[in-house]
Amino acid sequence: MREDKEMKYWMSLEQWKNDKTFQKLAGSEFVSPPFEPESGAWDRREFLKLMGASLALSSLGCLRRPAETIIPHIERPEDQVPGVSNYYASSYYDGGEAFGLIVQTREGRPIKADGHPQHPINRGGMSARAHSHLLALYDPERLKTPRRNLFNKEKTNKESIRAFLDEADPAIVNKLKEGKTALLTDYFPSPASWEAMSDFSKAYDCSHFVWDPLDLTAHAQVYKECFGQALVPQYHLDKARVIVSVHCDFLGSFLSPTEHLRKFSLSRKPQKDMSRLIVFESLLSLTGTNADERHMIRPSEGVNVLWIMVDEILSLKNSSAYSKLRAEFNKLKPLKYEEQVRKTARELFKHGKNAVVLAGDLSHQTKDHHSLLVLMNLLNHLLQNSGTIVDEANHYTAWSRSRPSIENLIQELNQKKIKNVIIHRTNPLYSYPNADQLSSALKQAEMVIYTGDRMDETAQASDYIIPDHHELEKWGEWEFQKGLHTIQQPTVRPLITSRDFEENLIVWARLGERGPRRLREASSWYHYLRASTAERGLSWKTLLKEGFSKKETSPLRQNSFNQNVLQTISKKEKEKNWELVLYTTAGLKDGRLANVSWLQEFPDPVTKICWENYLCISPSDARRLSLKEGQVVELTVLNVTQKVPVHIQPGQAPHTLGLALGYGRKGAGEIADRVGVNAYPFMSILKNKRVSAALSVQLKSTDKVIPLAVVQGHHSMEGRQIVVETTLKDYLHDKSSGIHKHKIFSLWSKHDYPREKWGMVIDLNSCTGCGACIVACQSENNVPVVGKKYVLEGREMHWLRVDRYYTGDPKKPKSVVHQPVVCMHCDNAPCETVCPVAATVQSDEGTNDMIYNRCVGTRYCSNNCPYKVRRFNWFDYSKNIKTPAGALNPDVTVRSRGVMEKCTFCIHRIKSKQAQARLKGEKLKDGDIQTACQQSCPSKAIVFGDLNNEQSKVRKAFEEENAYSLLEELNTKPAVKYKTKIRNNENKYGHGKGHNKGHS
Amino acid sequence: MNSPHKEKQSSLILGNKTLKQITEDISVLTEKIPGVRYLLTLAGAKTLFIFYLIVMGTIVVVGMGLMAVNHPVGWGVDIINLVFWIGIGHAGTLISAILFLFRQKWRTSIARTAEAMTVFAVMTAALFPLLHTGRPWLAYWLLPYPNQRGSLWVNFRSPLLWDVFAISTYATVSIVFWYVGMVPDLATLRDRATNKVRKFIYGILSLGWRGTARHWSHYEMTYMILAAISTPLVLSVHSVISFDFAVASLPGWHTTIFPPYFVAGAIFSGFGMVVTLMCLVRVFVPQFKDYITINHMEAMNKIIMVTGMLVGYAYLSELFIAWYSGSPYEQFAFKNRITGPYAWSYWIMMSCNVIIPQLFWFKKFRRSIPVMFVVSILVNVGMWFERYVIVVTSLHRDFLPANWGSFNMTFYDFGALIGSFGMFLTLFLLYMRTLPAISIAEVKPTAVHKE
Repeated sequence: MREDKEMKYWMSLEQWKNDKTFQKLAGSEFVSPPFEPESGAWDRREFLKLMGASLALSSLGCLRRPAETIIPHIERPEDQVPGVSNYYASSYYDGGEAFGLIVQTREGRPIKADGHPQHPINRGGMSARAHSHLLALYDPERLKTPRRNLFNKEKTNKESIRAFLDEADPAIVNKLKEGKTALLTDYFPSPASWEAMSDFSKAYDCSHFVWDPLDLTAHAQVYKECFGQALVPQYHLDKARVIVSVHCDFLGSFLSPTEHLRKFSLSRKPQKDMSRLIVFESLLSLTGTNADERHMIRPSEGVNVLWIMVDEILSLKNSSAYSKLRAEFNKLKPLKYEEQVRKTARELFKHGKNAVVLAGDLSHQTKDHHSLLVLMNLLNHLLQNSGTIVDEANHYTAWSRSRPSIENLIQELNQKKIKNVIIHRTNPLYSYPNADQLSSALKQAEMVIYTGDRMDETAQASDYIIPDHHELEKWGEWEFQKGLHTIQQPTVRPLITSRDFEENLIVWARLGERGPRRLREASSWYHYLRASTAERGLSWKTLLKEGFSKKETSPLRQNSFNQNVLQTISKKEKEKNWELVLYTTAGLKDGRLANVSWLQEFPDPVTKICWENYLCISPSDARRLSLKEGQVVELTVLNVTQKVPVHIQPGQAPHTLGLALGYGRKGAGEIADRVGVNAYPFMSILKNKRVSAALSVQLKSTDKVIPLAVVQGHHSMEGRQIVVETTLKDYLHDKSSGIHKHKIFSLWSKHDYPREKWGMVIDLNSCTGCGACIVACQSENNVPVVGKKYVLEGREMHWLRVDRYYTGDPKKPKSVVHQPVVCMHCDNAPCETVCPVAATVQSDEGTNDMIYNRCVGTRYCSNNCPYKVRRFNWFDYSKNIKTPAGALNPDVTVRSRGVMEKCTFCIHRIKSKQAQARLKGEKLKDGDIQTACQQSCPSKAIVFGDLNNEQSKVRKAFEEENAYSLLEELNTKPAVKYKTKIRNNENKYGHGKGHNKGHS
Repeated sequence: MNSPHKEKQSSLILGNKTLKQITEDISVLTEKIPGVRYLLTLAGAKTLFIFYLIVMGTIVVVGMGLMAVNHPVGWGVDIINLVFWIGIGHAGTLISAILFLFRQKWRTSIARTAEAMTVFAVMTAALFPLLHTGRPWLAYWLLPYPNQRGSLWVNFRSPLLWDVFAISTYATVSIVFWYVGMVPDLATLRDRATNKVRKFIYGILSLGWRGTARHWSHYEMTYMILAAISTPLVLSVHSVISFDFAVASLPGWHTTIFPPYFVAGAIFSGFGMVVTLMCLVRVFVPQFKDYITINHMEAMNKIIMVTGMLVGYAYLSELFIAWYSGSPYEQFAFKNRITGPYAWSYWIMMSCNVIIPQLFWFKKFRRSIPVMFVVSILVNVGMWFERYVIVVTSLHRDFLPANWGSFNMTFYDFGALIGSFGMFLTLFLLYMRTLPAISIAEVKPTAVHKE
């Protein structure tokens, strides 16, 4: 009975006695969250927990900075003024997507991440995730200290104890000395870290493997086959006249969406040369909703579409080259949409250098992925857009590297060739499709070290968990694009006992007295990093001051196309009954930040659903199978079966199914665990290449229906003038095209706005609906998260929402439009007159102010608000916020239970800028004040400023003919106007019923 | 002996009562030890009342989120109940004040109880606007009282504030009117009292009434004046309540017909409730059958039928105006009421309020206690749903379709609705045993002609 007596550490008498109940509990210690297993059931306590997890600081944070001790500075540090924010340039790398950041800190704690306005990639633009990674810093479920898992012989009985690095380091070094070590990471473009890893590999016998769920190296490798160099080019979409996307959601998930959003919107200025976006896709993506022309094709049909385009362009070119290819093509059966594709190809050809084809994003890796990419490269080569749109010189560096894949690691582990595994920045036991194989292979290893910050899937199978710092606690340097070096600065002292991954390498090299001197003798990762940047000729001071430095890159042009590659093109796959696509969402992406409540409650830009992943199915298929929204189906791919609710998605290609990755975590934390299902096991690995699309599946419907938490109640505009759409042709003819004007007059005199009158214009033509503004606002204004149950009850708290409407037939919507809705700050505000206690009033600067203290919560204002922008505190959402209140913005009141709240136009920013200007004795300039949503908008769709200033941008935009007020006929006189959405196509857009011209 | 007086007397009060008998019949209810049946009923009502207190207490402690109200449906069962109970109150004032001024002698038997019903209904109703706020402990901020919070003052433009005045005025006047009317009867109880405690309490309550000619003269004058003050209130209170909706810009609320339509509905539901209660009183207190005769009931049923048709007319004219307005929002709101997800509530309202009262065209039904009992209950079901239709269906789909939502009543909503009956019934049952339930002083003159 006492066979485990040699067990060195014991935590309780039950454990020592090997109590049966204890064993049972211990075996499942990490995988059984303490709440009800039924998914979708959230009780009231739970949302309080969610809230706690969202906004509470980890308890160790409290230890470090005890709230009760106030030690006044005898001499105040120069840069620390209580109540005044400090700003640091930093950066964030989000699996392929990069951001230059300005991190705002208050009294030493980061409270907001904003875009770096000068950074060449995002130019101030942000994504929902980039804002949210800040909240992950304060996640109470981060490990407080390094941990050590004590395994029994079968590695099933897991017991976790605190690990002290002084003790652990020598033990680790001994193990490292004993045998071969594997490094397993993702492709993160940090040159210094890769140098450290390569130095470390020299110290110990290491090989480097990669598992990156967001891997785009396939693109780089195909590029190499075609043109000779492994790289993923940058696309200057701002110079494009025609953009054709085939299975490529470049605005939502492919490569660097925030950068694409910015450049795309630049090309969408309503002028004669406005670009045209033609999309061929299976699921309805964010890119698809912004298309001028959208065609639904199956995932497996992408190759054919490109093939027809190639054929058409070759015939237009009248070139004799590629004759073999054309002969091959002629064997193909004609396709039903062939004429459309040929038309598109002719359009591409017409614009030549100014046209581009993007194909095959991460979600669309079919078996033919290789062929798809080859044809895309060929098309771009034929269009000769290298140098105009396709920029090889400033390519993305992450994907140029190539390391053996994780399959090799599994093989070598099973052959006992590898003794130790160090896992960094990747969580393969969650995100690797054959996690079981990997898990049993890892059991062969003698030591597994993991740098994750929580007891997640991989941590549970590791011996040592040495948490890496959070990005905001860590020094780093990135080369996102060739020659573009960006600094990552720590903005707070580490809140938990964590250590840089690179520091680990340095310490272990030092202790083992091995490896190159620069690694062994570096006093810390910071010094190693500085030396590394200096070696590469970068000025540390410039990096710190500017946040980045841009080196001129030598021009790099495509060489001639390697025609041999064309022989490898495979024929179109056989059509299957169902084709499943595993896609990444703007919210959870690969699932790394799944425990951030802002992202879980972030409504998907297209479906508007949160807190769940679901199987997207086309309306015609749903009708055929008589499936209802939310009905649970059993989805089987090969031998993997999962139960998922169905979402009927208008505009999705028939016979296609879509399922989002990133959900179904185990051990990521209270927020993420048990939300949705893990879709990674559905992926298959063929010859070391992943296949995530056109997977053959079996569907079996069940009787169960799970309500999906959708934040929007209805998806058609019902013929009302809400989003005005028009065509470029009509717009150029008449700028006010599409807007139905009303004759409105008022019996009352207007309000007097003697100084400023704040106003906003939202350009729906620039807005793509990405939703970054939603989280920007949430982060800025301490907007609480409520959880699935309360979203279902219509109690989400987002001050800024993005409405999405479909027009036309649900099977093939004519268009999909997005509309951000903030408080309109009406001059004749309906909310103000009905409040019995005058808790919401008009200021003399044109804002509609909400006075929380005075509000008794009659909710009359919300009932009378035609835009329904007001949010009510149904419960005490702030109750669980522990002190110090982590990510909370101290400039914005935390609202108590029973009061109404809503968008304030970021009045705290207005007031602080006004105060600063007053102190300096200066006048405020146009553009000095930015609202949080405006600041974070990647496509700069929001303009804010003083309407009383005739020179201001907002005033000019306000008076333009294509600006209209929402529900103008109610005479609320909103201070927010919208600009019409302009499509570059030949469709007819009307505002629905009745007269079109408007009243005189 | 075929004088008209005789006829009238026989139609109003049955059983050839002497004045003594009348006093006896009415007072005895307050003097006897109540029977088991009464105590059990009271215990039931009280349990419901306690349940109500727990439900509302939990909502105050935990938050409004326990109820079904949400975004966009910001008002729910609390406001529906407010309008419902205030509406019920209307019959009392109408019977005692307006019918008094119109010299409708038949009112005397039912006036007291109808007024009591008004007072209790207003009490029940008045809790809801307080408890529906997010922070009920601050609801006193709705009162314009001098304070030390700078220049903070209430917003007189808000219909909710008008509500505060309308309801408080109505409650005050109703209570005073009720009480003043009761003074001679309280003196009767005092005079009949055999123990000291009763003598003391009724002595204080009867304000030294001695029944002198001077007293009677002043009393009659006061009563007349109070009736005159109450009369406009019958119209004003529910008009003001309707402003909560009519003044808002929401399609389905923004309607000028609301004030008269609400008043008609209030009288309709009030009489429905009086009939329900009177049916019960007739069953539980058999000696009252002589005072609350089938003739009384028939008269009330006629009023129910008339006001029911008024309400029906309002429903139809609303539809017409929605169509005639040309406003797509307005048209949609009404189309949505009739065919949308909450159409069932519209059709419950229509059938209960417009179709079912048509039974009273037949004299047989007008004079049948079981029929009128069922109909009167259905009338109040219909009137509750009328407010449900107005509040919920207008709010759940308004201007921007992206905001559309739904409204699913929770345990707490049902608790607030059912529990409020507990409060009302408890008060009513206590009243039946402590105060003269029929006006002795007013009933007697109708019997005088006999002698």
